[in-house]
Amino acid sequence: MLRMQGFTYRHARSWPEALALWSSSPDARYVAGGTDLLPNVKHGLFRPSVLVGLGGIPGGVREADGAVVIGAMTRLDELAADPVVRSVLPPLAAAAGVVAGPQLRAMATVGGNVMLDTRCLYYNQTEFWRGALGHCLKAEGTWCHVVGGPKTCVATQSSDTVPVLLALDARLRVLGSGGMRELPLRELYRFNGMDHLSLAPGELLTEIVVPAPGPGFRGAYEKVRTRDSIDFPLLGVAVCGRWDGRNPLTLEIVVGAASPQPKPLRGLEPFLGAPLDDVAISTIADLVHKQTRPQGSVAGDVVWRRQMAAVTTGRVLRALAAG
Amino acid sequence: MKSLVSLRVNGEDLELAVPEAWTLLEALRYGAGLTGTKQGCDKGDCGACTVLVDGKPVLSCLTLAHAVRGEITTIEGLASPAGPDPVQRAFDVTGALQCGFCQPGMILSAKALLAHSPDPTDAEMREALSGNLCRCTGYTKIFEAVRLAARGVDRHVPVRYGTPAPGFDVIGARGRKADAIHKATGEAVYTDDLALPRMAHGKILRSPHAHARLLAVDTRAAEAMPGVFAVVTGADLPTPYCIIPWTPDETALAVGKVRYIGEGVAAVAAVDEETANRALAAIRVSYEPLPIVKDAEAAIAPGAPLVHELDWKGRPWPDNVCKDVDLRFGDVEAGFAAADAVVEDRWFYEGSTHAAIEPHCAVAQWSADERLTVWSASQVTHYLHRELAKVLGIGAERVRVIQPVLGGAFGGKSEPFDLEFCVAALSKKAGRPVKILYTREEVFYAHRGRHPMDMAFKVAGTKDGRITAVESDILIDGGAYHSFGLVTTYYSGQLLTGPVGFESYHFRSRRVYTNKPCCGPKRGHGSVQPRFAFECAVDELADRLGLDPIEMRRKNLVSAGERTVNGQLVTSSGIAACLDAVEAASGWKDRRGKLGRGRGLGVATSMYISGTAYPIYPNEMPQSGVLLRADRSGKITVFCGANDIGQGSDGMLAYVVAEETGVSPDDITVVSGDTELTPVDLGSYSSRVTFMAGIAAQEAGAAMGQKLREAVAATWKVEIGRVGKGYGFFFDQEDRSRQLSAREALILAEAAAGTPLSAAGGYRTRKVGGDYRGGTIGASPAYSATAHVCEVSVDPETGIVRVEKVWAAHDCGRALNPQIVEGQIEGSVYMGYAEALMEAHTFDERGLHSGPNLLDYRIPTSKETPEILAHIVESMDPGGPYGAKEAGEGPLHPIIPAIANAIADAVGVRLRRIPFTPDRVLAAIRAQGRS
Repeated sequence: MLRMQGFTYRHARSWPEALALWSSSPDARYVAGGTDLLPNVKHGLFRPSVLVGLGGIPGGVREADGAVVIGAMTRLDELAADPVVRSVLPPLAAAAGVVAGPQLRAMATVGGNVMLDTRCLYYNQTEFWRGALGHCLKAEGTWCHVVGGPKTCVATQSSDTVPVLLALDARLRVLGSGGMRELPLRELYRFNGMDHLSLAPGELLTEIVVPAPGPGFRGAYEKVRTRDSIDFPLLGVAVCGRWDGRNPLTLEIVVGAASPQPKPLRGLEPFLGAPLDDVAISTIADLVHKQTRPQGSVAGDVVWRRQMAAVTTGRVLRALAAG
Repeated sequence: MKSLVSLRVNGEDLELAVPEAWTLLEALRYGAGLTGTKQGCDKGDCGACTVLVDGKPVLSCLTLAHAVRGEITTIEGLASPAGPDPVQRAFDVTGALQCGFCQPGMILSAKALLAHSPDPTDAEMREALSGNLCRCTGYTKIFEAVRLAARGVDRHVPVRYGTPAPGFDVIGARGRKADAIHKATGEAVYTDDLALPRMAHGKILRSPHAHARLLAVDTRAAEAMPGVFAVVTGADLPTPYCIIPWTPDETALAVGKVRYIGEGVAAVAAVDEETANRALAAIRVSYEPLPIVKDAEAAIAPGAPLVHELDWKGRPWPDNVCKDVDLRFGDVEAGFAAADAVVEDRWFYEGSTHAAIEPHCAVAQWSADERLTVWSASQVTHYLHRELAKVLGIGAERVRVIQPVLGGAFGGKSEPFDLEFCVAALSKKAGRPVKILYTREEVFYAHRGRHPMDMAFKVAGTKDGRITAVESDILIDGGAYHSFGLVTTYYSGQLLTGPVGFESYHFRSRRVYTNKPCCGPKRGHGSVQPRFAFECAVDELADRLGLDPIEMRRKNLVSAGERTVNGQLVTSSGIAACLDAVEAASGWKDRRGKLGRGRGLGVATSMYISGTAYPIYPNEMPQSGVLLRADRSGKITVFCGANDIGQGSDGMLAYVVAEETGVSPDDITVVSGDTELTPVDLGSYSSRVTFMAGIAAQEAGAAMGQKLREAVAATWKVEIGRVGKGYGFFFDQEDRSRQLSAREALILAEAAAGTPLSAAGGYRTRKVGGDYRGGTIGASPAYSATAHVCEVSVDPETGIVRVEKVWAAHDCGRALNPQIVEGQIEGSVYMGYAEALMEAHTFDERGLHSGPNLLDYRIPTSKETPEILAHIVESMDPGGPYGAKEAGEGPLHPIIPAIANAIADAVGVRLRRIPFTPDRVLAAIRAQGRS
């Protein structure tokens, strides 16, 4: 069995306590659900001396000031089943409900899903395997085996909830040594698989604030994967907007699991306010194809994944436009 | 650092001193001794370690023991003093447990589902179980179990609960597996569940190079580390061995050269795995890297580096071809000349691996009198016994091999592995018991799975549907060593000649060495790959000739009593009934070609051996032996070396002995797979056990039954012919009111004998097979037959293929226990379906595996696995026990070509390379649009 060793465990009961415990050890790491971190520790990717457990901090969903506020420690199965999320933000519930398998969703938190380490076929492997490979840019090495170069790491942000949260323009409440600050999710990710989060060391994601999308909202999340459970996405497509019949009034499309930095599709303004017919949908699908460059850090043929970004978007748009 | 943790487990407060880096899984298994919770994948990919925390299923392998707050329920906590939980009982009764290794987790997931949804829909059920991978059942019987648990299940169900076949008391009745309830409750002891006093833990250092000369291995620093008890290297175990005694080309640990990434170089025994891992890191190995042979094509290229410079006799290998078979039957040229159409193309079958959920594990202990006991998760205890004695250089009489309950094998545990030799050698050096448990990654390197095959096939037919000639040229990628390779090479040609026969045949098969983990026997050894090519070619040929594919096959069937073109005698065949069954059930005639674009039906057939004619090493002794011991308690104990690997051979033995003796199978205990206690059976491979051990059990049971009847006849003072046998009793045929229970009969017989009651039976080799070199390889005393029709949907925009439904008809001869046979058919279909659609055991240019874990190597979950409708056909085989033949491997073969043929029906493209991943399917569809 892959064994872990060399760390002590500290159980935090509140965010400030977690921050304090983290601050007292130079190479501490937080562990929320553990479903992402512990495999990485088992693989020797991280060697923390202290793990600060966040499991004692409550999560939960509430409505406040025209927004849905989601505690970072809310488990994904709770998020998927939450009545407020299901009625106000159905694509978020859908995305949370298709992460991995049932046990993972009972353990994993939405905060962890947003903060997920980037993933790569050459990185999420054992120490032995990485040694046989000759290591990679993201861990212990100098070469990215995906792009074949020494500069850019394209390990992928592979969360299912993130594309939806981006499409909904969520904001994050982050606690650090300087206190609490708010950050648009759209500013969190960078195109750098080795360092894809624009947070200061030790900063904790405590809450996710999702503005209530307003009248006429329709949205969806479609996950492309080999198996209908357990798998990370080969690709994910979130579409959110407010609609008047077939006319989108607002429209956001985010393709996930394609790169370190998921971001909203550009160039959708011309399609607002008019009926979204087949021509418009196929034009948007072309836009998706143009703007999506799936990286080979994720399984599946990259050409096919790019095609799937377009096909999936087209299908989702057709369904949403039909109401 | 160890510290105390308080856990509330199954209603008890446990205080354990465990390291803070331990997971809940480790705390439960190794801290609290609750070994019912299993470990399969190391890191949250398989679900075997599922426990409930406050009623929710979670993965104990990704939960830190010190972080848990809440009420934990493990599999041991479900049963009450009144007996097993109804969910456990339902899994037992329905045959949902085969190897049982995934089932503690599966049962807990089912329990949680039923707690909040007492009458779940099919979709809910598939979803709730989708985080628990099962490799045996195809989930079919698991769904039945959950439905039964939802309806309510009797607490006490006898082993035989169905109606037996006419004229029998037990045979043919649906029945539980003898050992299933122990697996369902977590009570069954698998190898890693063993803990011996002072036991050390071993780890094996593995080569990061695919091909390199081993210049030096310096173990001094490791040996000096505190907590390290022993270190061994290839120099300690230099004797070459191989499961096939003619080709001993590997050693327990590398000697001189390493030939694949992951090959063992040294091994350490230490106080715990963590210390052993640190010791491995302290071993210094100098390698001189060599150019590698990355695949079969590279292996035969001119000037290719040699994987083996010398053979086991020290003679130079001229090239990388480890076996070359070229056989001709009939006039092939005339066959092609007579044809109206010829399909000629190349098919490629990708490698795949067994992925049993239980990783390999072995424990060794030397006694004070220099005797060695090895417990190993092996499906061939007898061969392991022989090889251990050979490699350790000690007499076989000093070695005992025991197979504990085994968590899935499928061919992946059918030869010796490095860990078995290493635990023996380390234990000797350390002077204490040693255990080695593979990580999931090591299981991938141990491999011995499906060979990649590059296959050129030419199949010729006439307008009236006769197949006149078949020619194949197959290049087999064997990996670094021989393994069963000699047999594989023959099987790739020899097993193709039925149930759809042909008039002439020429095959050439070459197995080559490459710098990759060694391939070997995976369910349907050697024959699944050419079956794919051939059954696709036949389908295409039928198309070209304007014939219905089922009709085309019907015109070429090899019937009972006939010989195949390569001389194998088909003693029985139900293939015509299999084809009829799947044709009718699938609505073939009305639906094929008429389902619209994107939906299609496909058919394929196969046959498979019921054991190979001859043992792996030539000898005149029985291939299988059974001893019975009975006494006045009313019980019979069956002793047999056969390995129950989850397929249910223990239950089969109990059934047969019950049938012959009148003793209820509830009162029969089976002791199997222990070289000290049980007579030799060669092991669970080549689908031999029901046929061969079944006959041995039948013979022993008949002898015991005769003793009982004689004793009853003597008591009643009647002719023995008047003593009839019922289920659990004997009766006077002329006065049916006069009866004696089987227990009373045992007492009478023991008294009459004046000795303990015993009986013996054996299966003796029958001379079968063609009279030419290789003619006995692939020769079997009986052949099963299978036909599948499957229905697929293909999304023409994405290339995603879904297998909607599979109708699988299999002729297993007499179905001794139909429930177990169905389980074998369903599991086979599942495993083949997985190979067709998603599994790929692949390597990069360095010889590095593409992802040796159960997240990257995807095996299907309960959600995408198709609905499987198993249909049993019984063509009674004259040589089999009650007419029985094999059921465990044959039904895998047809599903792969059936899917390919269904895709052709759905979207008109013929795929010649597995797996049929969506990118390949979509590319083929788009290419079709252009052409």
